[in-house]
Amino acid sequence: MKGAQAILEFLTEQGVDKVFGYPGGAIMPLYDALLDSPVQHYLCRHEQGAAFAAIGYARSTNRVGVCIATSGPGATNLLTSLADAKLDSVPLVMITGQVARPAMGSDAFQEVDVLGLSLSICKHSMQVMTAEDLVPCLQKAFHIAQEGRPGPVLVDIPKDILTGLVPATPQAVSDYQMPEYSMQDLQAANQLIASSERPVLYIGGGVGMANAVDELRDLIQRTDLPQVCTLKGLGSAESEHPLYLGMLGMHGLAAANLSVQQCDLLIAIGARLDDRVTGKLDEFAPHAKLIHLDIDPAEIHKRRRADVSLLGDLKTILPLLGTDTVNPSWREWVSDLKVSKAFPYAVDNSPGQIDAPQLLRQLSDMSANDAIVSCDVGQHQMWVAQHMRFSQPSCHLSSGGLGTMGFGLPAAIGAQVANPDTQVVAVCGDGSFMMNVQELGTLRRYQMPVKILILDNQRLGMVKQWQELFHEERYSETDLSDNPEFSRLAAAFDIQSDVIQCRSQVGEALRKMLAYPGPYLLHVQLDHKDNVWPIVPPNTANHQMWEQPK
Amino acid sequence: MNYQLEMLLTDQPAVLERVLQTTRYRGFRVDSMQMQPASKQMKVSMLVSGKHPISMLTSQLNKLYDLASLECQAQLVQSGEQQSTQAQPLPKTA
Ligand SMILES: Cc1ncc(C[n+]2csc(CCOP(=O)(O)OP(=O)(O)O)c2C)c(N)n1
Repeated sequence: MKGAQAILEFLTEQGVDKVFGYPGGAIMPLYDALLDSPVQHYLCRHEQGAAFAAIGYARSTNRVGVCIATSGPGATNLLTSLADAKLDSVPLVMITGQVARPAMGSDAFQEVDVLGLSLSICKHSMQVMTAEDLVPCLQKAFHIAQEGRPGPVLVDIPKDILTGLVPATPQAVSDYQMPEYSMQDLQAANQLIASSERPVLYIGGGVGMANAVDELRDLIQRTDLPQVCTLKGLGSAESEHPLYLGMLGMHGLAAANLSVQQCDLLIAIGARLDDRVTGKLDEFAPHAKLIHLDIDPAEIHKRRRADVSLLGDLKTILPLLGTDTVNPSWREWVSDLKVSKAFPYAVDNSPGQIDAPQLLRQLSDMSANDAIVSCDVGQHQMWVAQHMRFSQPSCHLSSGGLGTMGFGLPAAIGAQVANPDTQVVAVCGDGSFMMNVQELGTLRRYQMPVKILILDNQRLGMVKQWQELFHEERYSETDLSDNPEFSRLAAAFDIQSDVIQCRSQVGEALRKMLAYPGPYLLHVQLDHKDNVWPIVPPNTANHQMWEQPK
Repeated sequence: MNYQLEMLLTDQPAVLERVLQTTRYRGFRVDSMQMQPASKQMKVSMLVSGKHPISMLTSQLNKLYDLASLECQAQLVQSGEQQSTQAQPLPKTA
C-alpha cells in the first residue's frame, strides 16, 4: 500500500470520517488518494480557516480534529491555529506535506523547516523519515493529541513517503501515565474545604475536556459551593444555580470577582490562573488558600503556590471532593451580591441604538438549548461570555489563550460539520470577521446553515476601548468606518442577509435568522462608543474593577 | 541559582532544539552542555542558571515526549559544592 492510502486507512480505523484542509504540491498524493477513500474532506479557503474549522470540530465534540496542508506556505498558514490549539489545549492532528527526502535541506521549492517552526506551538511534532515510521507516527500523534492535557500534534510527511510503499507495521503503544494524587492530598483538600468559611469553585476549561461536567454539577449539588468560571469553563456549571456567578477576570462579572477576592478558599478545577483571570497576581484572592486540581503537573505552583494539589483525571477526582454543604452566611452573602450586581436585562422595543449585551441575551434566550456559539475576539467576545448562557462547555467556542481574531466563522464551520443538526451561530466583530472572510466560500460550497451575526461598531472595538481608557483617547488605527457593505458581501456568496440598526428591529431579525434553513448573515450596526464593563485595568486587583459609568 | 540537569533523551530529530528552546522560553540560560550517545538514546548534561524556581523548567521539560528521564541538582557555585538534597523526584508525565 502506498503511504497516502495508508494514512487514509489509518484515519478510517481511528473513526475519523471528516477532515479539513487545502491541497498543494507536496501533499498532492494524499489528495489523490482521498478520491478513493470514505474520508470526507472539507475544502476551506485558507489553511488557517481549515485549521480553525478542525478546532471547532474538536472543541464541539471533544474528539481529535484533523487538518491537512501542503508544505511551505500551506504549513506556515497553519501556525496561528496551532498556537491557538496549544494555548487552549485542543486535540488536533495536523498533517503537512514536505518536499521529497532527497530535496530536503536544499531550500527546495516550497520547502520550509516545518518541524522547526512547530516546536514551540505544538504539544508534539514529528517528521516522518522512513516508510516504516509513517503509521506508527500517526498512531503516536493521535495518542499524544488526546492523552493527559490535550493539544495539537503536527506530522510532517515528505512527498516520496506518500507515493512510496509502506509496510504493515505493529501498533504503537502509548506509555502515558496519568499523574496521580495521593490519598493524603485528597484528605487534606477535603479538610481545607470542611474548615473553610468562604469557599469558591473556580472552574476552567479542563472540566469540559475531561468530560467531567456531570461530576462537577454533582459536586455543586452536594455542596452548594459558589462558582465562577473562566472563559473556557463557561457552560460547565448550570447557569441557573443561585450561587453561579459567571465569568471572573478582566471582564468578569462584578459578583464573580468580588466573591473570589473575599473567599478564604479557592478550588481551581482544570484552570491555570492565567493573567486575564487573576489581574494583579499578588492581590488575587488575597485571603484564600488554594486547592489546585489539574491533569498537567506543570500548571501546579506555576502562577501561584497551591496549598494542596490534586493531579489526575477530574472525572475521578471530583466525586471524591467535599461532602459538607457550605456555611449559610457565606451562601447568603454571595447570592445577595449576585442579585445586587445582576445585569438589568430587559427586552426593550423602543427606538434607539442597539445594545449588544441585551441583544446577545435575547439571542441566548431564543436559540436552542444545545446551540453552539462561536465568536471572534474583542468586545463582542466578552459580551458573549458575559451575557449568553451555555448548556455545555462544548457549546461555547472562543479563542481564549491566544485570542485570535478570525476564529469565529471557521470554528463555526467545523462545529457545524461535526454537528450537522445543531444550531450554530458565529458572533463576529466587524474587524475579526474580515480576517477569515474567505470562509464564506466554504459556507456556500457546503450550504451549511451557519448563522453569522456581525456586531459592527466600525471599530477595532477592544483596542479602541483601551485607547479611550488608557491612552488618553488617542485613537490610532482603530477606525473601520470604511468596512465593506456586509450584506453585499454575503450576496456575493449567495448567503441571505439582513441589516438592523434600531432596537425595535432586534427580536424579529433574530427570529428570522434562527428560523432560516440555510446560511444567514445578520449585520447589526452598533454605536462605536459602547464599551465592555466591568473592566479590571491592567496591573490592578480584580476588586478594583471599573463598572459601567452611569 | 545554578542547576545541573541530567537528561536521557530519545534520539529523535529536533530533540536538542526542544530542550534548548524550552530552557530559553522558561527563562533559563545554558551555561554549559555536554552530550553523548547511549544506544538509541542520548545523555545530555546541562548546567543552567535562572531566577525562577527550577520547577518552572523541569516541569516543562518533563512534558517533552522525547525526554526519557530527568534529574536535577541545585549547584552552590560559589563554594563549588553541590547541594546534598536532590530535587524531588519528578514523575515522567505529560
Ligand atoms: C490576529 C489578531 N490581531 C490583533 C489582535 C488584537 N486585537 C484584539 S481585539 C481587537 C479588535 C477586534 O475588533 P472587532 O473584531 O471589530 O471586535 P470588537 O472589539 O469591535 O467587538 C484587536 C485588533 C488579535 N487579538 N488578534
